[in-house]
Order: sequence, then C-alpha cells, then structure tokens
Amino acid sequence: MHSLIRPNAWVGLKLPSGSTKVIQLVPDTTISLGKYGAFPANLVLGRPYHLTFEVLDKTPDESFSRLRVVPPSELHAEAIAEEDEAEGNAASATNGANQAVVTATEGEEFSLVDEKGNVVARSGREVIDDSAIQTLTQDEIEELKKEGNNAGKDVIAKLMLSHTALDQKTTFSLAKYKLLKTKKYIRRFQVVPIDVASFAQWQLEEKDASKIMDLRAEMFGLVGCWGNVHFGGEDSMMDDPHSRTDQGEETCVPVQPDELKGRWLVVDDTCGMLVAAMAERMGVLYPKEDDDEEPMVPEAKEEVKTAKPTQNSVAHENADVEMSDAVPETTVPERPKTTATNKKQKVRPKGSDFVVPLSQTNTLTVIHSTSQPNLSLLNYWNFDITAPNHPPHPLLNHLLNLTWLQLLKPELDTSYSTPPPTASAEELASWKPSRRGNFHRKRRRFARTRYIVDSTRAGNFSGLVSASSMDPISILKHTLPLLSGGAPVAIYSPSIEPLAALADCFSVPRRTAWTSGNVPETAGKSLEELERWEGNEQFPLNPTLLQGVSIQTSRARRWQVLPMRTHPLMTERGGADGYVFTAWRAKPAEGRVEARGKFKKIQPSSSRKAVRTEEDSTPAETPAATEEDDSATAAKRKRADTLPSLDTEGSSAPENVEAGDVASPTKKRKVDGEVEV
Amino acid sequence: MDDTMAPVTRNQAPKISPFLEPGKTTKVGSLAILQLSRDNLQPVYLQAPSGKHDGYAEGAVVNTRYGSFPHSTMIGVPWGSQIRASKVDTGSRGRNNKRKRNKSDDDGKEGPAAIPEAKTEPESTPAEVIDDSSAATKKVVADVSGFIHILPPTPEVWTSSLPHRTQVVYTPDYSYVLHRIRARPGSVLIEAGAGSGSFTHASVRAVYNGYPTEAERKGKVYSFEFHEQRFHKMNKELKEHNLGGLVHLTHRDVYSGGFLIDGKSPEAEAIFLDLPAPWEALHHLSRRNPKNPGDKDWVSPLNPKRSAHICTFSPCIEQVTKTVSAMRRLGWVGIDMVEIVNRKYHTSRERVGLNLSMDRGVNNSARDVDEALARLTEIETRFREHAAKSKESDDEMDGDDDGGLIKMREKKELKGGKRRGGEKKVKVDHKPASPESFETPASGVPLWMEGRLITRGEPEIKTHTSYLVFATLPREWTDQDEAAAASRYPVVGEQKVIGVVDKAARKQERREQLQKATGNRKARRMERAAELAVTAEGTAPEVVP
Repeated sequence: MHSLIRPNAWVGLKLPSGSTKVIQLVPDTTISLGKYGAFPANLVLGRPYHLTFEVLDKTPDESFSRLRVVPPSELHAEAIAEEDEAEGNAASATNGANQAVVTATEGEEFSLVDEKGNVVARSGREVIDDSAIQTLTQDEIEELKKEGNNAGKDVIAKLMLSHTALDQKTTFSLAKYKLLKTKKYIRRFQVVPIDVASFAQWQLEEKDASKIMDLRAEMFGLVGCWGNVHFGGEDSMMDDPHSRTDQGEETCVPVQPDELKGRWLVVDDTCGMLVAAMAERMGVLYPKEDDDEEPMVPEAKEEVKTAKPTQNSVAHENADVEMSDAVPETTVPERPKTTATNKKQKVRPKGSDFVVPLSQTNTLTVIHSTSQPNLSLLNYWNFDITAPNHPPHPLLNHLLNLTWLQLLKPELDTSYSTPPPTASAEELASWKPSRRGNFHRKRRRFARTRYIVDSTRAGNFSGLVSASSMDPISILKHTLPLLSGGAPVAIYSPSIEPLAALADCFSVPRRTAWTSGNVPETAGKSLEELERWEGNEQFPLNPTLLQGVSIQTSRARRWQVLPMRTHPLMTERGGADGYVFTAWRAKPAEGRVEARGKFKKIQPSSSRKAVRTEEDSTPAETPAATEEDDSATAAKRKRADTLPSLDTEGSSAPENVEAGDVASPTKKRKVDGEVEV
Repeated sequence: MDDTMAPVTRNQAPKISPFLEPGKTTKVGSLAILQLSRDNLQPVYLQAPSGKHDGYAEGAVVNTRYGSFPHSTMIGVPWGSQIRASKVDTGSRGRNNKRKRNKSDDDGKEGPAAIPEAKTEPESTPAEVIDDSSAATKKVVADVSGFIHILPPTPEVWTSSLPHRTQVVYTPDYSYVLHRIRARPGSVLIEAGAGSGSFTHASVRAVYNGYPTEAERKGKVYSFEFHEQRFHKMNKELKEHNLGGLVHLTHRDVYSGGFLIDGKSPEAEAIFLDLPAPWEALHHLSRRNPKNPGDKDWVSPLNPKRSAHICTFSPCIEQVTKTVSAMRRLGWVGIDMVEIVNRKYHTSRERVGLNLSMDRGVNNSARDVDEALARLTEIETRFREHAAKSKESDDEMDGDDDGGLIKMREKKELKGGKRRGGEKKVKVDHKPASPESFETPASGVPLWMEGRLITRGEPEIKTHTSYLVFATLPREWTDQDEAAAASRYPVVGEQKVIGVVDKAARKQERREQLQKATGNRKARRMERAAELAVTAEGTAPEVVP
C-alpha cells in the first residue's frame, strides 16, 4: 500500500506553514494551495509519496505551474551548513571554515543566498550590502510575489536583505526570523498518504478533535496493543446453504462457534476513527494493492467513474476508483453488489440469498447505539457502510455491525425477528424486476442480521476496544460475558473519571466482599449466571470478571533538534489527555463456596487477631485479597499509615510476609497454619 | 482430568504461535503467563504431568507466595482461569534432597529463578531421573487459600514478565513506535538490537498476516543481535514461541555488516534501531550506496517501491543529535523527535472523617469544617462541664487560671489524638467496624463505597525511557520515472479546482451546485408532473424549499 499516488486517492498535503491539507486527487483538476500556489493534480499522480515538491513559476508559454522535486539535501541544507560551521568553528576557529559553508550551499541555499550567490545572513558576521538596508512595504512584497519569484525564495531573500537590523540579530533570533518568513513564502508541499496515523493527527490538530474524542497517536498505540488487536487469521467464509427462494429461515447456516476466531468487539463514538485504526492493525483497511508501477488501464478509470455511487457524506466524491481492478482477495466473489457496479468483473455464479458474505475470522464487530453506525470517517478509506452497492473493499467482509437492541433484545428488532419473505420460483418470475430485487434484498438482509446477531451473542471474542461517550460500566455489563477467557479489554476515555469509576467496580474490597459471600443476591447462582450478573447498586459489575485492572496515560513530548538549539517545543496541543483502561477477562474458579465456608470459620477466632498483630495483617484474608491489587512495594507499605489508600486495605498476610522477598516457604506455611487454626 | 487431555493436545502441537492465536484453552508445552498479582507476572511453559518431577509428587510445580501450583491444574483450562493453589508437600522434598538443599531454597523463593528451572530441568538434571521414573503423578488436592490467574501470552504481558537481558522497550514506547513507523500486517520490519525481545514480540504481532510460504511474501521481522549469548537465548525463545517462521534472527554487528540476508535485500519498509550508535548503521539503510551513488552492486535493504519509516531509540540527547545529523545527510525527511511519558494511575477511595472505621487507610480527621466544628463544640462543652465539676469539688482553685485550663485541654486532646483522633473520647455514635464483617457499617454505606473515589499516580514513575527519532525515506525517483509518470498523466486543460479557491470561484461553485440540485429536483418534479398530466413546469422552480 501507499507506494505511488493513485488517481482519486485521498492524500495529505503538508504545507510550509505546518498545516496539512487533506484532499482527494481527482485526475484532470487543479489543486489550489492558496498563497502557496496552484498546480495540476496530474503532476503528482503516479509519483511516490513523501516527496517534497516545489511549485515553480509559470513559464510564459504555459498556463499552469510545473512542479520540481526538492531533493532532501536542499531541504536540510541550512541545518547541515550550520552543523558544518559549528564543527568547523570548534575545530579551527580561525581558518576559512565559512568559505566551505558558502561553497557547499552555493546556488542551492534559498534563504541565505541572494542573487549574487552571497550569503545573506548567518549570525551577523557577513556584511550586508548597504543598499539592501531598507524595509520593503507590503505593496512591494505583493509586487514581488506576483512577478514569478523562484518559488518564493526571492521574496525571502529580499526580505532578509531589507531587514534593517538584521546584523544586530543573534543567531537564534535570526534563525527564527528566517523560519518565519520561509513558512510564509516558500511554495513547497509534501504529499503524505492518508493512513490512520496521518489522518488522525490532522483530524486532531487541524480539523475537529472532538469528533474523534481527542484520540492522540499515543492512544491508538496503547488501545491497539493492550487490546491485542492484530491479524486474526486467514479468512474463512460461510458455507452456501443453497436455500431456494421458497425456503425460510430454517435454511440459514447456523453459527459454528468453533470457526469464529480472531474477532474483536468495538464500541466506537469517534465516527469510525477507532474502527479504522483497529482495521489497519488487522490488515483490513487498505485494499490489497500491487506494488507494480501502474495497475490501471485508462479505460477502466473512465468506466468506474461513471459507476461511482453517490454518497451523502463529507467525502461524496469518494469514487473508489483505485480499487476497481485490484480486487481484494478477501471479497466474496458472489457478492451481487459489486458485479452491479463494476462491469469489468467477471460474472460469477450467484449464491443463494442466505449466503452471508462475511468472514468468520479476523473481524471487527461494532455495536452502536443508533440504528445506523456513524462510521463516516471511513469514507477517507473509500468505505461507506451506508452504500447499498459497494465496490470491493476488505472491510465489507470483516466489519460487522449491530445495535445494542439487536444484541440485548433481538426479539424486539424488526429486521432480526421478522421472518424472511418466501416465494416460489414461478411467483418470483412473474414479478416486476424491482419487486424481485426487493425480495432478494430482504432475504439477504435477514440472513446477514441473523448471522451477525447470533454469532455476536455466541460470544468468545478475542478482545474489546472502546472509545465511547457512554458509561463504560454499562458497556462492560453487556460485553464482558461475550469475551473469551483471558481476552483483553482496552477502553479509551478522554477524561479519567469514567475510567476511575469503572476501576472502582473491581476494587479489592469489593472483590473481597463478593467472594466472601456477602452479597445475598449471588447465593445459589452458578458461575454462568454470575457472568451475566445484571448488576445492582453496590455491585454494578461482577468484580471477579476482570483481572489486572489498570489505568494509564501516555504523552509524547515533541522536541526541536537543531545544532546547538535542541529543546522541547515550547507549546503543544492541550485539551483532553486521554486515558486507557486495561484489564483481562478472568474466569473465576468453581467451588468458591467451599473456600468461603472455611474462611468464615476462621474469621471470628481469636487466634486470627494474634496473627494479624504479629504479621501486620489486614482483615481481607480471602482469596481475593491474596492477589493484592498492585505492586505494593516496600516503600508504599511503609507509608501505608499516612496514605489513606484502599490499596493497602487488601494486602494479605502472605503478601506481607514476602514483602522483603526473603521469607522462606516454611515461614509462610507457619502463617497459614495459624490462620487455619 | 488433565491426564487424558495431555496426549491429545500434544499431537496438535500449536503451529501458530500462542502469541497470535492462543486457542481457547491452555495446552501442554505452550507458554502461559501466571498472574500472581496485578503487576506480578510469571511466564511458565506448561509440562504434561509425568510422574515425579524435581521431588514433587505432583509433577512440575510452580511455587509462588500465593501457594503451590502443579502444572497439571493449569492444563486444559480456559485462558483467564482462576487457579486454586494445591496442597503440595514442599517440606519433605527439601529434607529428602539434603544435598540439594540450597537449590530447593531457591525454589521456595519463587520469582524469575523458578522459570528457567521449570523448563530446563527435565533434560538437564540427570540426578532427577530416578525420582521421575517412580510412581505415577500424585493426585492434586486443592489448598484452602491462595490462587492465581493464567493468562494467554501477549507482547504486553510478556514484556512485563520476560527475563531481562538488556533495557526493555516497554509497551508505551513500542506501541507508539509501531503506530508511527506504520508496522502493519504484511510489512517487513528490520529490528536491530533484539535485546530482551519485547519489541520483537510486539512487532511480530503488528506485521503478522499469516505464516509465509514459498509462494507468498508475508509480514516478517528481520532481527539483528550483536551479543552472542543474547542471540542464542533469543533464538531459543522464538522457537519455543513458534515464531521461527515470522522472525529471522541474525547474529551480526550491523554497523559493519549491514542488514542484508545472504546478500539479498529483506525489502523492509519499517525500521527500528535500538543501538548505541544508530548513526553508524544508518548508511546501510539507503536507497543507493551513499559513498558511491553509481555503485550498481550495492544492494539496499529497503523495499524499493515504498517509503521507509524509521525509528531510533536512544536514551541520550547526544545520540539523538548525531542520529538526526546523519539522517539529514542521508536524505531522510520528516525528521521528528519525541519522548514518551507514560503514567499509570491507581484508583482508591479516600476516606476522611471522624466517624469512619478505624481501618488502615482511613484518615480519622474531620471530613469538613462542619465536622470539625461539631467536634470542637463537643470538646468545649465537655471541658466546660468538667471544669464546672472540678470547680464545685475544688473551690479554692477559683477556676480562673486560664493557662492551667489550656494545658489541661491540650493534654486531653493529645491523649485523644494518640487514640486515633480521639474518637473514643468523643463518642459521636461511632461503631468500630469489625474488620471481619463485611456488613454495612452504621452509616449505611458499605466499606467499598465509602469515601471519595480518587486517582493517584503510581508511587514511582519512569520519567525518561529514551528519545524516539522518526524519519521517512521516500522511494527513489529518477528522471526516467518522472518522464513515465508525466506521459501517463499528461496535463490537460484542467477546469475544476480543488482546495483553496478565491471567493468568486467558490460562489460560482455553490451556484452550480444549487443549480444542479434544483435541476434534479426540477427534473423529478417534471416527471411526476407529466405522470399526473399537470403542466406545472412554470411554477416548479419557485417551490424550492
């Protein structure tokens, strides 16, 4: 992916000002960058990403600006020259090190060299031509800009020259001034591909951060890694039940729980940003692309353009052209939608209506609170979940979506509970094509909804990732039973409070109380029933269902690295810090009742107190307590009396015994023995 | 129950690494991570129960501070299961094996020392053979207390539990790095300085899109390690984790040796350098021989068709300066340096108040001004009563010696303070919550819901791990390439403008759009109108809502 810039691809144009412009490169159009100039889109199509282009002046016989690839040596010329100079000065302060610098940069250095090839400004040592000491007026600058000016370089050079007090500036302020002017006038841009990292950064810093809940790059990394989201296995498609049109739901292929692997649950209120990030990690965001130079035949381009679906979203010109012939291997061939839009595709035997074109592995299941999921940002990757006839896209077979109603009360959902229409072949033949189409569509939708709801309710998900404005406790209440044992949970929140409340549901005192049988409602319930614990005021969630509960945040601090001027940036984007809650799904042991009885027996005994005073124990001498909520270091232990923290509450006798990490097993045995008395 | 399980699972030796697809239950021979407490994780290779092992009648046993756990209790259970401790005779084993006394003491200490022992013992200790061949595995009896959880291995838990060999690249760093260097399923990644292997495991997961076959190129990690011992340990680890086909580990000094594999290019597009001097390795990672661009025999380790993304990981700023300088000279662009600061938070309930239980962690001072006021008033009242009484009984004192009074009061408070805020003295309907009972205290709020929920940073934070330098190297673009692209996409008479347009153009566009919309509507309306045989053509445009 992302080797050459394809026609109609969404790209980011990084401008000298530091801002990025996200546009779709439609062939045969002009791309305008405002004050940085305009150029025909065809001049960057078919070129590699990450190159820096310079918008050249229009030649008299052409009506458009051509582009020039700026070599990296030129981009870094200034820094390299400074480095050389610094080194040269350090080595031999007296000899002509400066001469070397000048020759090294001659003709190339834009802002340091005037028309004669003299260094205009470097640390004020160079003499500036007297005639240049004058201030340009705004009008003069405008005039300069108009009369072709070597991609803005002349303006900068003249501005530098015309600065009256340039020689009084220090190296640092000079560099700053130069940088400022360069940002404003140099007509350059870099083309970057729209992947999750670059798009999210643009959305966060320049577009609308609240739309993606302030998800920063650090958070994508943390959520993805702690959610253990990765490629979940080769595609395994459902069998074709070969059901005839007069057969109903009884012919649907039942969910095969053993076939379901590598599935992740997603709750996404970030307009699809989180889904995109997870899809990227699973390898289902980008269509499979050949790295070959040019896969596209011009005719195909035209054809698909006419067939492009109308989309009502931001990216309504999302024509999916680049995928037209690079058909993703993951796409089910019998998908009728694709054959309808793409004439080039071979007509393959159509499957029956009850073929569900979804993979059983490597899938994302999105649960949404509205009747349609809001995944509008996926348009930038040419995927539109609302499009009825979608051209091939890997997400089509790997993105499942259902509503909370369908998950929790499927019988109330019309599309799930209404049986599919049936009709004999003769009846069908007598109908109008539109009615026939509707009939098939309804049957297909039924099979799809059935499969998604049933397979989701079958559970055994490999993990849960969430970035939602809903209360995480309520999300976990219904999703925890769906996770397989050991599956990770990673929940993002822009603020810490909802996550703290969630973590508190799994606090040691709560778990201790739960396992010691002080919750009357849990009495007599099996483990399975307790997994689906509906919650009460004191125990919103079954506190034994998660292990290793932790909350963390990450922040990248950006630095400027320049010779002798290396320091962290003075300002950065503020706003929400972003926190990630992580844990693993636990399977509580059976036979807990037995343990509880024993512990109850020893609790009132007087010998217990003796143990406690001797070993500085705490009350929670139960299995839950032995696992000790965190890394209670010795230091923390010492401060336990001054810090009113519940963490210390749960520490158990064995923990204390081993606090110094030197206690022998015999000593521990002794303690246990006393407890048992 | 596990005896029957063992042979079955052993036949189906997991082809796919447990890191990538752990399956639903634990298996013999597989790596599992034991979670002793939240941050205390211990890796274990599960062994089939086969007679006595290391003096234990139950077979291989993991001893922890939370009890002893025979492997047999941990095999064939769902991942995430809570495992109860078992009654294991550790004492007699020590006595019987007097000559190995020191060793068994080590076992008791648990911790990382137990891991290598558990997995190497069977083949490496001939002294045990006699014991092993004896009677069948003893049946395991559950202990009354203590348990652990058994987790499937992931790069995250592995990173927190792995045997340290060098400085470890932790999750906050590697998660960000992999995101930034675009390590995705199908990518080929070069890692130099395999170190402890935490980044290796994380990057394998990131690039994994199936095990490679002869026919198809898949995501792969090319890892280089200079230190021979670390290389061998790492190699062994990768085999044990079934990652052999996904990681190509090479023992080499990349500064001089470069990154080619048998003279061929790994065609990488993502690079991570955890080296003391990345700038000395950078020149290998070019498109052409940097010293002699015309050198046709020079092979680049980079994928010639994609941009390459690099990250270097250096703790010192001097290293960064040199690295960045080298990158600039070698044509890398988008150079960006960051450092990651990660913080973990603990949640707890801050319990402050005079009427709370006397548990540890409770701050028995006034919760608010009102409570303080009430307490002071009460003390004052009592004191006055007391003073009045003593005045009655002790008339000659006259009760006007203020200094004496204050002294007395202070003494009393001090006494009270010693007894935890004097709540015993001031009996404000306090019922000392019995620690044994989890019944709701007098306030009606259960212990675990009492107080204010707070978050607090962990006691010790990592303030600096390393500086991360990111950069991108675009693919090579020659004049011939440019000419080919130019002929494929010739500039025609462009009409439409995308991006920033001036006001007039914007207005014009809007007008056209509106025109189009109304035109469509008009057309539809006309259709309908025709159907109804009504000539509404003249009025149609005005009815636009």
